[in-house]
Amino acid sequence: MIDPGEKDALTTGGPALPVLLRGVAALGSLKLTLTLLVVLVPAIVLAYNSEQWRSWPLALPLAGLAVNLLAALLSNPAFRRQTALIVFHLALVALLLLIAAGRMSYLKGTLEVTEGAWYEGGALTSTDAARWHAGDLDQVRFTNLGFTIDYAAGVRRGPTRNHVRWIDEHGRAREAVIGDQDPLVIEGYRFYTSFNKGFAPTFAFTPATGETIVGAVHLPSYPIHQYEQTREWALPGTHRKLWILLDFDETILDPAQPSAFRVPAEYQVIVRDDDRRWALHAGEAIDLPEGRLELAGLRTWMGYNVFYDWTLPWLAATAALAVLGLGWHFSAKFRRRAWDA
Amino acid sequence: MERELQILWAAIVAYVLGGVLAIFGVALGRRRGHVVLGLLLAGLLLHALSLGLRWQRLDHGPFITLFEILSSNVWSLMLVYLIAYWRIPKIRPSAAIVMPVMFVLMGWLMLAHPGEGHFPPTYRTPWLFIHIGMAKVFLGATLVALGIAGIVLLRRYRLAVQRFASLPEDRRLDELAYRFMALALVFDTLMLITGAIWAQDAWGRYWAWDPLETWSFVTWLLLAFAIHLRLTYRPQPVRGAWMIVAVFVLAFLTFFGVPFVSESPHKGAI
Ligand code: HEM
Repeated sequence: MIDPGEKDALTTGGPALPVLLRGVAALGSLKLTLTLLVVLVPAIVLAYNSEQWRSWPLALPLAGLAVNLLAALLSNPAFRRQTALIVFHLALVALLLLIAAGRMSYLKGTLEVTEGAWYEGGALTSTDAARWHAGDLDQVRFTNLGFTIDYAAGVRRGPTRNHVRWIDEHGRAREAVIGDQDPLVIEGYRFYTSFNKGFAPTFAFTPATGETIVGAVHLPSYPIHQYEQTREWALPGTHRKLWILLDFDETILDPAQPSAFRVPAEYQVIVRDDDRRWALHAGEAIDLPEGRLELAGLRTWMGYNVFYDWTLPWLAATAALAVLGLGWHFSAKFRRRAWDA
Repeated sequence: MERELQILWAAIVAYVLGGVLAIFGVALGRRRGHVVLGLLLAGLLLHALSLGLRWQRLDHGPFITLFEILSSNVWSLMLVYLIAYWRIPKIRPSAAIVMPVMFVLMGWLMLAHPGEGHFPPTYRTPWLFIHIGMAKVFLGATLVALGIAGIVLLRRYRLAVQRFASLPEDRRLDELAYRFMALALVFDTLMLITGAIWAQDAWGRYWAWDPLETWSFVTWLLLAFAIHLRLTYRPQPVRGAWMIVAVFVLAFLTFFGVPFVSESPHKGAI
């Protein structure tokens, strides 16, 4: 793999150097590339079948390919003559490094925000964060100002339009409509609306001593859990558990014709203690030993997926560079001879 | 809908006539390149009309149901192959290999139910066209490579040797077939990149090892493997041709097998 001219230059560097270079050439062998590509296949099969196999079984052959490639870049004369090919292969190594960096610092999670309420950083409903995640989720603030979703006949969901307001990095309030492909991006966190959304009976609870607290109960996702619109709820600041059930007769999403997501016009909220039961309309209240509970109204809640990966723009740019390199290499190569020659 | 289907059947009749003429042309040693070209082009235009009418009626492209995916792929594969057929007259007899593959897809298309599907909200983006466009060029380039590889293989196994005798020698065909493999690699790479961008937008992650992603990635690796193998060992054209067949089979399964057996998000209707 080393051409004669190179060899002469190398031998002048002392006896240790040629051995080293031969080692590099062996590491950069194209046969090793083929072997590693074959080894990658069972690793992919493992990764595909189980989430727990998505780290080192893939990382090992990929790291091998990166070393193999770097060694080939140093030792293989085919690269020296073909800049575009170098660009392409280097971009592949850069992609691997970026993906590895992303895997070590990402965050994925879900959260739910009641219409009109603020998400104020921190807690998520579920979180999956890499060990070295160092983003600033605590700084993130946004509010869900409600959403619209139209449904086609057959209860088939159309686009989600969710109106949000947030505080940008300069402390200014901003507004936008997000949904489906358009996330809300704050501090590198990308908030995507999800198909999870539903009704949220909202209560004002005034404890015997103290100020009124407003709380919303996120009932199970609608329409998937259409017939289970009930949830256990702990009265804020107490140990009392209540069962909350939303009761209405209207058809919200009509299988027979187009419709839109909305809260029912007529509804009652059933509140059940161990052995007592109340049916409340908006504005009605009950007296419990801990304080007074008033049904303030019915709102909606939206479920979001949040994703953080600082490498995304770099990945996109590197991938673009890779294809440009590849296209450039082949167009130069094929220009030398006509296709129909 | 009746009208669309009638035009589609007319297109298929034109394709089949063109294909049969190409096959007989090779078998009987009488080439009618221009007639075949004309028939295939007529098929393509009629097919475009049928797709266009459906698009207008449903207000979305042919990307949702099995029927639509087969139909749009038959169209795009015929388009890519027709360009190669027109621009590189030397490889025209490859139609005898390519058209039977297309007949399989056309037969399947005729059996598929032409009803309409639901257009999911995640499809309302230009990435739909970019991603699928790249995928179609990729598969088209692989199909042309398959046709050329098929000539090498038929000759090697002493089938229709005389019929293909006037074609360029194996080395030259191998070089040409691998040009199409190179083109396929470029577009496959673009397909993966644009797919990842779209997945990030639509599902909030750029990669999740869903069945279609995984199969596409393995196809891409096999393509890279085939190209590297050829550079490293300079195998006989026959071996190179078998590699092309392997890549085509894997790509074919990825396109028409995986989306219809898996229940992953990639299936579309979410
Ligand atoms: C899986 C990722 C890889 C892909 C997709 C890929 C793709 C390619 C392509 C398309 C070419 C040009 C072929 C041509 O001109 O016809 C090429 C050439 C080459 N690749 Fe890779 N490659 C990959 C990984 C590697 C690795 C890990 C090495 C490390 C040794 C490597 C070393 C080379 C060399 C030395 C050449 C030039 C060969 C020559 O012209 O003689 N590649 N590769």
